[in-house]
Amino acid sequence: MEPRLILETITVPGRGGPRLQGVSLVLRPGERVALLGSSGAGKSTLLSVANGLLPPQVGRVLWDGQPPASSRRRRRHQQARIGTLWQELRLIEELTVQQNLNAARLAHWPWYRAWLNLLLPLDTPANLEALAQVDLEPHLLAAPVAALSGGQRQRVAIARLLRQDASLWLLDEPLASLDPRRARDVLHLILGLGEAPRALLFSLHRPDLLEGFDRVVGLRQGRLCFDLPAAAVQQTHLRELYAGSDTSNG
Amino acid sequence: MAEALRWRSISLALPLCILLPALVLVPLAFILPSQVHGGGVDLIGRFFLAALHPSFDPMVVNSALSGLAVTLAMAVLGWAISLLGGILLGLASSRILWSTTAGLGWPATGIRRLLALPRSIHELLWGLALLQLLGLRPVVAVAAIAIPYSALVARVVADLVDGLETTRLDALRSAGAPAPVALLTALGPPLLPGLMSYGGYRLECALRSATLLGVFGLGGLGTELRLTLQSLQFRELWIGLWLLFAAMLLLEGALAALRRRWLTPRRLSLPEPVVTRQERRLELAGQEMLLLVLVLLPLCWVLASRLEVRLGDLTRLQPLPPFGVPQWQQVLDLPWPLLVGNTILLTFLSAALAIGVAPLSLLVAAPWPAARWLLRMGWALGRLWPPPLTALLLMFVLQPGLLTAALALGFHNLGILGRLLLEGVEEVPSGPREALERMGSGSRLGLLYGSFSAVARSYLAYGAYRADVMLRETVVVGLVGATGLGSLLLESLTAFAWDQLLALVVVYATLTLLGEELSDRLRHRLLGSTRAPHHLSKVLTDVSVDGFKMGESAQSARVSPERPATSP
Repeated sequence: MEPRLILETITVPGRGGPRLQGVSLVLRPGERVALLGSSGAGKSTLLSVANGLLPPQVGRVLWDGQPPASSRRRRRHQQARIGTLWQELRLIEELTVQQNLNAARLAHWPWYRAWLNLLLPLDTPANLEALAQVDLEPHLLAAPVAALSGGQRQRVAIARLLRQDASLWLLDEPLASLDPRRARDVLHLILGLGEAPRALLFSLHRPDLLEGFDRVVGLRQGRLCFDLPAAAVQQTHLRELYAGSDTSNG
Repeated sequence: MAEALRWRSISLALPLCILLPALVLVPLAFILPSQVHGGGVDLIGRFFLAALHPSFDPMVVNSALSGLAVTLAMAVLGWAISLLGGILLGLASSRILWSTTAGLGWPATGIRRLLALPRSIHELLWGLALLQLLGLRPVVAVAAIAIPYSALVARVVADLVDGLETTRLDALRSAGAPAPVALLTALGPPLLPGLMSYGGYRLECALRSATLLGVFGLGGLGTELRLTLQSLQFRELWIGLWLLFAAMLLLEGALAALRRRWLTPRRLSLPEPVVTRQERRLELAGQEMLLLVLVLLPLCWVLASRLEVRLGDLTRLQPLPPFGVPQWQQVLDLPWPLLVGNTILLTFLSAALAIGVAPLSLLVAAPWPAARWLLRMGWALGRLWPPPLTALLLMFVLQPGLLTAALALGFHNLGILGRLLLEGVEEVPSGPREALERMGSGSRLGLLYGSFSAVARSYLAYGAYRADVMLRETVVVGLVGATGLGSLLLESLTAFAWDQLLALVVVYATLTLLGEELSDRLRHRLLGSTRAPHHLSKVLTDVSVDGFKMGESAQSARVSPERPATSP
């Protein structure tokens, strides 16, 4: 089976120096990869390149073995297979949970169904199932996102990822603003849901949460510092990665 | 799906709400063919072709330039007087000021009620009435802008002052500070951003009003535009139009740059500056504003002397035909229900067109940046092109009547609403839209779900305000025989039928004040009914700056449930 994601010698320029320089990475189906690095190491930039938001100046991105399609329709289908959990969640506050969950299906739906979603509750059974998977009450389906608590919103964002049914999950520091206990809960939830044949690239601030990952990739100042099986990551690697930075804030 | 189709489960989400008015296009598509006479299709073709090669004859260019200078001067003078008068009248109608200085509330209410009349009458009516009374003098156009605008500014200033936090004022007063000093110190700085933003907005309006007054013969570029259109000299017309277009874009750009520099409230949503930064900017803005006033004062003096605007002219009435015996029975016999009904229908049609077509066309253009740029240009033309001239142009291919008037009015307001919607879409957080596009939704659905959701409530609130303005503007398309109050008002004015004019003005003013009240209630309902999402909450807690700013102050809304009306 083709790797879900291939990044080949990616370079992204920045003002004070390159944001990424010559980074290569391969994610195979079923792999769960943690992306470690301090603030400004280039983790978010790497995820933006991986989901197609930021085209690299140098290097190549392949999704399921294919480069980004030039035709608009084919590109949309490619994008539909890449799910991103954003740090700031990026839910639509004014719409209901149901409409937000269904928004993940827009790439697959005909236009009239996409418009009907703003008028009628569609795909309720599938949405209820997604809510159950993230331990949310069914009655929240009709609630506007703006009325939810922070924790509930995060779970809705994960449920949206489930509804998208993407084969590649990119997670941009979803644990950054959580207390240690909730961070561990959310991590286990995501790792439990993101099973094969999905591949996961999970950006993390905290090196104490590597349990459950197959591989760990370390980024430092836009360069690949190491790419090792999780069991092989030693304190020396982490010290080198975080040298001169504060990791206590998560 | 069958389960979903239960009647109770239907609920219109916000992005659909802003597109709903566009349904008016469906009946229009059926009715419009019956209105086409096709006699002037070639003229319309010639008109648009002339845009590509306007006349560069030095005489024509000079004439257009001097016309533009007169229009700009009329706009600046009218605006400056209205700003000064409006601030003074606004302070005089502020409840806080009266209660602080005299311990009374009723004078503020009384002054507010008195100001309702001048602001309910469109500047065109003021212009034409003054024209009849004083003859064609430069002061007429300036006064026509200044009178209703002063009342509008006054209302906004009063709302702003009354909507401000009074804790600082109370603290100063209890510390023994004299009332004027306490008021200036406590209320001056927080009042400044809203006032600056609103003042800039009114200058844009003044330019449009000055052009419109010109169309009705009060001088400047508007007069030239109308004359060249009526004599089918399209190449000569377009040079004037392009010059006006450039002036308007320059003005809008400069005002937008000042708004950004001074961090004054923006229209659809606001930047979220750090407080210290805002305070620093406010200090800077205060100094720069003072400088601007110092430049403006001599400029206004020079403009007034070049235009020969003398306030004393306002007292020199020209000989009028005898008033005669009022024919009240004839006035009563007028088809009032039809006149009022047609005016309301015209307002609804043009409002639905303007409010609905702006988001619809943005959606259609979403995948192509070039199309969005074209829309921007088209809307800019719509804003500056006075509705009566659009109506005249449409009459090359359409029969005169209500539909033609609605299209003309709708096109003009589409330019204003479209620009604001686009600004709003560009200002709201792009995260949700980007997230949807990353999931493969495509740019149209990304815009519909991600951006329209965020701007819908404010946009609809602004649409309600704009509909109220359109009700006033029905008078400006009266010349195409729209069979509403506007047509008859213009006829009565030119025929010196004072009894009929008085009755029409009373009905028109009552209607516009009722429309204003309805629009206020709708806006408050839209902006204050539900828990606001994070990016709107900033707007909702910001100061109230008339209906022009989509985000309205919840606080101000509570303090002052009525909203001021404004002209275009």
